[in-house]
Amino acid sequence: MTKKKRIGLTISYIVLILISIIWLFPFFCLVLQSFRSYQTEFGGMVNYLVPKQFSLDSYKFLFTEGSQFTRWYANTFVIACVVSVLQTVVVICVSYALSRMRFAGRKLLMNIWLVLGMFPGFLTMICLYFLLKQMGLTQDGAVPGLILIYVASSGMGYYVCKGYFDTMPKALDEAARIDGASRFQILYQMIIPLSKPIIIYTMLVSFMAPWCDFVFASYVAFGKSDSYNVAVALQRWVWTNDYQGYFTRFCAGGILVAVPVTLLFMFLQKYYVEGVTGGAVKG
Amino acid sequence: MGEKKTIGRQIAEAFGWLGADLKDIGTTFAQGDFRTRISYLIMGFGQILRGQFVRGIAMLASQGLLLYFIFGFGMQYLKDITTLGTSGRGFNPDGTVSYGDNSFFILLYSLLTIFAIAALILLWRINLYHNRDAQRLLAAGKKLPSNRQDLHSLLDHNFDKTLLALPCLGIFVFTVLPIIFMICVAFTNYDYNHQPPSQLFTWVGLENFKNLFSMGGDGYGSTFFTVLGWTLIWSFFATFLNYFLGMAVAILINQKGIKFKKLWRTILVMTIAVPQFVSLLYVGKMFAADGLVNSYLIKWGFITRAIPFWTNPLYARILIIVINLWVGIPYIMLIATGLLMNIPEDLYESAKIDGANPFQMFFSITLPYMLFVTGPFLLTQFIGNLNNFNVIYLLTQGKPQSMSLKGGAGYTDLLVTWLYKMTVNDTDYKTAAVIGIMVFVVTAVISLIVYNVLPSVKDEEGFQ
Amino acid sequence: MKKKIVSIMMTGILAAGMLAGCGGSKPADSSAQPAAEPAAEGEAAGEAEAVDYGSGEIKIWVAENVVDFTKEQCDAFFAEHADMAGYTVTVEPVGEGDAAGNVITDVEGGADIYGFAQDQLARLVAAGALTPIAGDEQTLISGWNDAASINSATVGGTLYAYPLTSDNGYFLYYDKSVVTDPTSLEAIIADCEAAGKGFYMEINSGWYQTAFFFGAGADLTYETDDAGNFTACNAGYATEEGVAAMKAMINLHKSKAFNNGSSISNAANCAAIVDGTWDSGAAKDLFGENYACAKLPEFTVDGTTYQMSGFGGFKLMGVKPQTDAGKLQVCKALAQYLSSEAVQIARYNAVGWGPSNLNAQQDEAVKADEALTALSEQLQYTIPQGQYPGDYWTLATSLGDSIISGDYDNADDAALMAALQDFQATCEGYAK
Repeated sequence: MTKKKRIGLTISYIVLILISIIWLFPFFCLVLQSFRSYQTEFGGMVNYLVPKQFSLDSYKFLFTEGSQFTRWYANTFVIACVVSVLQTVVVICVSYALSRMRFAGRKLLMNIWLVLGMFPGFLTMICLYFLLKQMGLTQDGAVPGLILIYVASSGMGYYVCKGYFDTMPKALDEAARIDGASRFQILYQMIIPLSKPIIIYTMLVSFMAPWCDFVFASYVAFGKSDSYNVAVALQRWVWTNDYQGYFTRFCAGGILVAVPVTLLFMFLQKYYVEGVTGGAVKG
Repeated sequence: MGEKKTIGRQIAEAFGWLGADLKDIGTTFAQGDFRTRISYLIMGFGQILRGQFVRGIAMLASQGLLLYFIFGFGMQYLKDITTLGTSGRGFNPDGTVSYGDNSFFILLYSLLTIFAIAALILLWRINLYHNRDAQRLLAAGKKLPSNRQDLHSLLDHNFDKTLLALPCLGIFVFTVLPIIFMICVAFTNYDYNHQPPSQLFTWVGLENFKNLFSMGGDGYGSTFFTVLGWTLIWSFFATFLNYFLGMAVAILINQKGIKFKKLWRTILVMTIAVPQFVSLLYVGKMFAADGLVNSYLIKWGFITRAIPFWTNPLYARILIIVINLWVGIPYIMLIATGLLMNIPEDLYESAKIDGANPFQMFFSITLPYMLFVTGPFLLTQFIGNLNNFNVIYLLTQGKPQSMSLKGGAGYTDLLVTWLYKMTVNDTDYKTAAVIGIMVFVVTAVISLIVYNVLPSVKDEEGFQ
Repeated sequence: MKKKIVSIMMTGILAAGMLAGCGGSKPADSSAQPAAEPAAEGEAAGEAEAVDYGSGEIKIWVAENVVDFTKEQCDAFFAEHADMAGYTVTVEPVGEGDAAGNVITDVEGGADIYGFAQDQLARLVAAGALTPIAGDEQTLISGWNDAASINSATVGGTLYAYPLTSDNGYFLYYDKSVVTDPTSLEAIIADCEAAGKGFYMEINSGWYQTAFFFGAGADLTYETDDAGNFTACNAGYATEEGVAAMKAMINLHKSKAFNNGSSISNAANCAAIVDGTWDSGAAKDLFGENYACAKLPEFTVDGTTYQMSGFGGFKLMGVKPQTDAGKLQVCKALAQYLSSEAVQIARYNAVGWGPSNLNAQQDEAVKADEALTALSEQLQYTIPQGQYPGDYWTLATSLGDSIISGDYDNADDAALMAALQDFQATCEGYAK
């Protein structure tokens, strides 16, 4: 190895280490804050990093009887799981139809969806709220209501999956059809088994999204605290004045949300990379 | 199909098609047997008599349901569509309230009824086709598809309809209908002073659009253009800075000789994995005037007074773009990593022999390739950033506001965050609807421009 | 081949039918039973008459820290009123701001009884989210509570809400070891700067800002009609007094000790903060044995000294308009009970909210409360908060943000006057 190369590598390592520090620092702070006790120290914002005394008070609080944290967590988990499955089914259906089949109005449909996608999602919030309310799916019914909303419009998010299907040779289909297989059989017996990466990608992405929704979920729950998801509930601990000194508890709750989601993500990272890369190349 | 048609010709063609269609309806009736003719009134009648029970019953049932919906429910709303309701709320002597017309539901259900009428006409026309074709087939001595075949086709050559039925229905109810509803709202005075069920709202024509664009006085004109300007600047930087720096990081990690590649990537990817409402809320607090960053800078003597990260408009804007790097670089890094490996190694080898340095190689080989491959992706990124609610709202909520901006807008507000605040904080739905339409217009214009500049985007089949 | 479209449509119709089924309560909802009923039933709601109040669910929204308290009180209420026991009560923690926002968004979906801060009253009335309190009941409630709180619950000539507290004002919490002279803003700032600590005041809020404007002698009030519309605006901001207040805020923002904020748990480096009684617990936690509170300080501009003023505000409880007469009776009786003397004292003892009830204000424990004493000292300089349009608060935040971002750092009097004229004109524009 030449000297020049070695210097280059050293600089690269230094840059990488710096980047890593910057990237991890906020998470590191978050963890430290969550170990500050709101009882013996102070639960609000402080201007120092390391707690004077490490304590698990904030975590304990989340699991005490008065706290609904477990309820919120369960709500979010249920929403995420159901949405993950249903959304994937919808996306596969739509992608298969648009990728493998040619029918009248196909282009038109895709163009209409493209145009619909250009409207900002928040525009229709109030209308969606009242639609759901008419169906009885707000407040007490917020969990199924949110699932319905997430799944209902998921058909428009077919791009990545369709792109993946497009790469599979059409000759496969044609051969199977000559053998007498129906379209349904082709999808069920051929395409799906070949699409494991994209299915996992779709499931992963749709599993992660509900954990972050603090806008529409708050609208739909409409003050019914049993129906909150974690994002709505925790966000209130930071932004609402009613919750004085809940900051460390917010950090603790945030960690408990972040850890499983992050682990899952890391575990399935390979598929995620495949999905986003494919999606990026195909537009 | 490729040639551009003049609008005039398109209209002429449309009328031609309509004329032909009407003529076909006429001839079908004239040449039809009694089964076909009765189907003009009772949909599915002909199909049932010809033994196509599945089709026939489906037709008949949808006609019944649609008519029931239109006349049993929809009409009472549709008749008020021009006024959106006239009788207001009143209190009874015993203190209870009687709500009158609800403008919101009048508008919503009127739209639904109009859709139902359109659906009925469409179905009726399809019903005629069925009858005509069936009659012709029988006349030619051929057999009609059996019920079993009809059902089976839904899993075979009509499988697309099975697959798309539910997704289309979902999109219709929860996307199309609300969007059309909100477009209508843009032409009404639906806001905090006209809030159903207590108050009525009504049509006001282009009033809200005028207000958004009028420059002086109470108009939102200058505010709108400030917010729009920042939205575009933000999108530009958020897209391209992330893109180039993300690529740089990917190249850095992919260098030959760098170890622990997977570790570096995993560290970066943390920002994708951790929910943003946790990470961004926290990072926002870190940069507060009395937050961690300022406190430590003061403690260590770098500065004597806090840097106004979030209260100075310029600082806030810069900081948002910088923090967005933290969120966005890993994403691009992942994509670029995969793509960089696809560039043939010998391209670099031969460039090296020609004496090119790494920068020249980047600009002559890597960048053109990446831009070529990810062109459409950049467009989606740009449009995504136009609507990047989370980063802005979790960090600043659009603040700082200013006396020179109206309607509660702040210097870091994007059009979408402004729209959100209009909807949630001010319940000013009419203005929110107008802003939403403007977001659409901006997105559409940008997409159209890019589509015309990048011809490869259009070529869908080309990828297969 | 278009047959599958048929089934798409059919599902569409089904869904539409479903909508229809759920939403078909259009014109024929006049469940208004003109039942003969006593307009107000006071505390002992006419048990002898055995009125049938029906049954159902009553939803209550109150701030997080009084949820348990409210539940207990509701239980006590229904123990007392067996004839109303057909109703079950659910109490949800929805803070005052959220409650008003939610109810305004969707009156029918909102809580039947909810607590809110008075600045939302006009918006709530305009949105039709409150039942007027009329006749005997109005006389009763007016007799119970202090005049300012009743005024704050009145829009036009109509009383719309039950006062809960008279403590929604602000004053100064400070750290005794840092701040030596809490009577002068300049001295407080100097102490804080010397100690490297912060002075917190949320000057980008229309609520705290008035400490300066009203203190300097500028005024801003609105008049409303019965429907909650603003009919007139009396503004004196574009005056020399207004300019003086602006200058005081600009000077304050220029100090490195200044921090914009009014929430103790978000104040990371706090030696003094302008805040209200709801934060007294947090303030005690933060300052520990150095905890102290006082009325707001005086501020000096161009050699003239002014006492900081501000709003004296109130927390209110409202009843949503009801279509069922029986439920309305129960809701009103419950709201009366929850705002009654005994419950106000109990609420003070539980969470420290200062009563609006005249008798409760004379309670020994209430009188001895440090924070409430500071507040009542401050209250003599403040203006009881009337009704302000929602846009005012947004506009005031813009003004505050402009000051904090340094827009006026180098502005001369004329420029400040121009800014205030703009502000005042906009304020006046809200009343039409």
